[in-house]
Amino acid sequence: MNVLTRLTSSAAVAAIMALSPLSAQAADITIAIGSEPSTLDPQVRDDGGERAINDNVYETLMARTPDGELVAGLAAAAPTAVDAKTWEFKLRPDIKFHNGEAFNADAVVNSVKRVIDPALKSEQAAYFGTITGAEKVDDLTVRIITSGPDPILPSRMYWMKMIPATYAGDAKFAEAPVGTGPYKFTSWNRGQDIVLEKNADYWGDAASIDKVTYRFVGESGTRLSGLMAGELDVITNLLPEFAQQAPKFAAVSGLETSLMIVSTDNEVTKDPRVREAMNISVDRKALAESLFGGYATPAKGQVVNPKAFGYNKSLPDYVFDVDKARALIKEAGAEGKTIKLVGEAGRWLKDRELIEAVGAYWKDAGLNVDIKIEDFGEYLNQLFDKNTRPDAIFLSNSNELLDVDREMTAVLQSKASSASNSDQEMSDQISAARTETDIEKRQAMYDAITKKSYDLSYLVPLLNQQDIYGFSKRLEWQPRVDSKLLVKEMKVTE
Amino acid sequence: MGGFLLRRIGQGLLVVIGVTVIVFIATRMVGDPVKVMLPLSATDAQRAAFAQQIGLDRPIATQFVDFVSDMARLDFGDSLWQRRPALDVVLERLPNTLKLIGAGLGLAILLSLPLGAIAALRPGGWVDRTTVFVGLFGLSLPQFWFGLLMIVFFAVTLGWLPTSGMGGARYYILPAITLALPSLARLVMLVRSSMIDELNQQYVRTARAKGLHFKRVVMVHAMRNTLVPFVTLAGWELISALAGYTVVVETVFAWPGLGLTAMQAIQKSDLFLMQAIVFTVAVLIVVINVGLDILYKLIDPRIRLA
Repeated sequence: MNVLTRLTSSAAVAAIMALSPLSAQAADITIAIGSEPSTLDPQVRDDGGERAINDNVYETLMARTPDGELVAGLAAAAPTAVDAKTWEFKLRPDIKFHNGEAFNADAVVNSVKRVIDPALKSEQAAYFGTITGAEKVDDLTVRIITSGPDPILPSRMYWMKMIPATYAGDAKFAEAPVGTGPYKFTSWNRGQDIVLEKNADYWGDAASIDKVTYRFVGESGTRLSGLMAGELDVITNLLPEFAQQAPKFAAVSGLETSLMIVSTDNEVTKDPRVREAMNISVDRKALAESLFGGYATPAKGQVVNPKAFGYNKSLPDYVFDVDKARALIKEAGAEGKTIKLVGEAGRWLKDRELIEAVGAYWKDAGLNVDIKIEDFGEYLNQLFDKNTRPDAIFLSNSNELLDVDREMTAVLQSKASSASNSDQEMSDQISAARTETDIEKRQAMYDAITKKSYDLSYLVPLLNQQDIYGFSKRLEWQPRVDSKLLVKEMKVTE
Repeated sequence: MGGFLLRRIGQGLLVVIGVTVIVFIATRMVGDPVKVMLPLSATDAQRAAFAQQIGLDRPIATQFVDFVSDMARLDFGDSLWQRRPALDVVLERLPNTLKLIGAGLGLAILLSLPLGAIAALRPGGWVDRTTVFVGLFGLSLPQFWFGLLMIVFFAVTLGWLPTSGMGGARYYILPAITLALPSLARLVMLVRSSMIDELNQQYVRTARAKGLHFKRVVMVHAMRNTLVPFVTLAGWELISALAGYTVVVETVFAWPGLGLTAMQAIQKSDLFLMQAIVFTVAVLIVVINVGLDILYKLIDPRIRLA
């Protein structure tokens, strides 16, 4: 795939010429997404293609503004904590699903129970691990029960789509979705397209686009061609080098942050001076410019998006200083010592290039870097291995819930998933922060954790990547921080 | 003939079973679908629970026994990625690939016979030189590059054809030409060289000496002898297209066929879907091979099938 993408890039470069898109019908648009959803059941898969469509058909109790702020969605207001393990949601009245079923407490209870039921084999269950059940109080009041105090629950409910209680049992549910959203399902022509149309009875502000057709185009050069030929109005994942060729484009700070997880127990990297050198020897600005055409920003000493809860505002950048890095390596007696850097290729944008560039910076600082680009399966085996940690391993982290808990747990909590330290104190702090319901206290706990991880260089945070979208000339849209493709926010001008 | 067919089908079954078993082993060695499918920040406990839900926590021997008994009933299990029977996915996508191959290889076969024959009539003439040049061109151009160039020129610049996707006849033109080009090149070269050989044979001179019209000598006698290697190569082209060449073309043109699905199944570590795809393609290849043997017999009755 990587070779393909690269050659495609060259092909599209050859393709660059000024073209005026043909005009299509007024308020009907076509969006290209990278892959066809495998199901339109909104509760089963963890898949961007499915979300791109169902985010318009279904809604959630909590929502986010384009800028990432958590606000009430189908809930009338933010939930209240009844006790440590119970959150109570009041629902907006008079909302109906597209098939006429009422949206009420029963629908919420059913939605919660279904997605956490092991029989559904939902990949999304990983987002809802703390939820044990839901109960109806009255028609418009629901309580969600968690196994322990869960401050992230409101964010989790921004990820859980609300489905109609009765229709969810229908055999057609996975093929013909029915939600409460601003768009309703029209047709799914497998392999070719999915069509949605405006829901005239939508409870919120009326959308402007009447009909949206989704096409599935995996190859980025082909997607760009479709945009230039006037067949498409919106394409996702426009490559940075092609941004200028699109009739219009927009870049927004995305959810992905790339990083290296450094082992604190291995022979060479157990010395904090070596790890600090690995951090300050990397010129992140140069990487953002040269690899991502400027559509990325150096990560601020931590691994989440500044919009996420738990982001530490006071951390400075790791200042690029190769001389100091060389001195630290020398001081630690690590000069010429070999470290193994494990990565993969083709999964994330420019992953191989980024890994190799960082390896080269480390070499420049005096380490001998053995770069191992593994196939994805083998890479995952090493990423999740609890016993032997590579000296450094690459990861690109996506922060869907915009809350640091999952990222902290994944990359910093010893033995939980892919952390490379054995810091029991930090592990306890992360567990404690996960159940701290006082917002300020919780933020202070994360500030302490990220500060320690920063000072001791447990991680080498690299870049916050931007999502780049290509538009046709007539389309107006401000992309969102949470990467959702909400058609109700789009407009066309003729 | 009947005995021959039975034997070939028996052999074919063995091949299919062998290939599928190899795929079972290989897929379980290369990747763990649980790790690939769940969000990367899922915890180990969540992964273990998911493995249990989809039955991948069972000992490999148990999985193998279930696999063999399911396969005997042509049950490949549910695709992990598509969440529906794997064979349904394959049977839904296979016709799209067959249509594309039909258009592409049909084009290659129809054009290669006359082009190769005309080139052979005057070796070194301008038709011949042009054919050889275009043939080499077609062989040396990578397909994805050529496909993208076609999209850029015919769809973006001229706006005559759609950039990608599947639909009416217009949607077939670019992907079919892209798929056809290397096959056409190989087939033309073969027809040309074996026609040149045949035309220098004694029997051609004899036929001409006896006053047979040159056209008839070329079209009937020499062509017939050229057909045997031609069918062999065309069959090989068909098999290669099925076994992989379409992956590139389907990717570039977002063609919803089996090749694209196979690539996605590999990316998603969808063991069950991969098994179903490999099984289906293996069966098709066996069928094509038997078909080719029969075709040889029809072209040249001297060939004995044993």
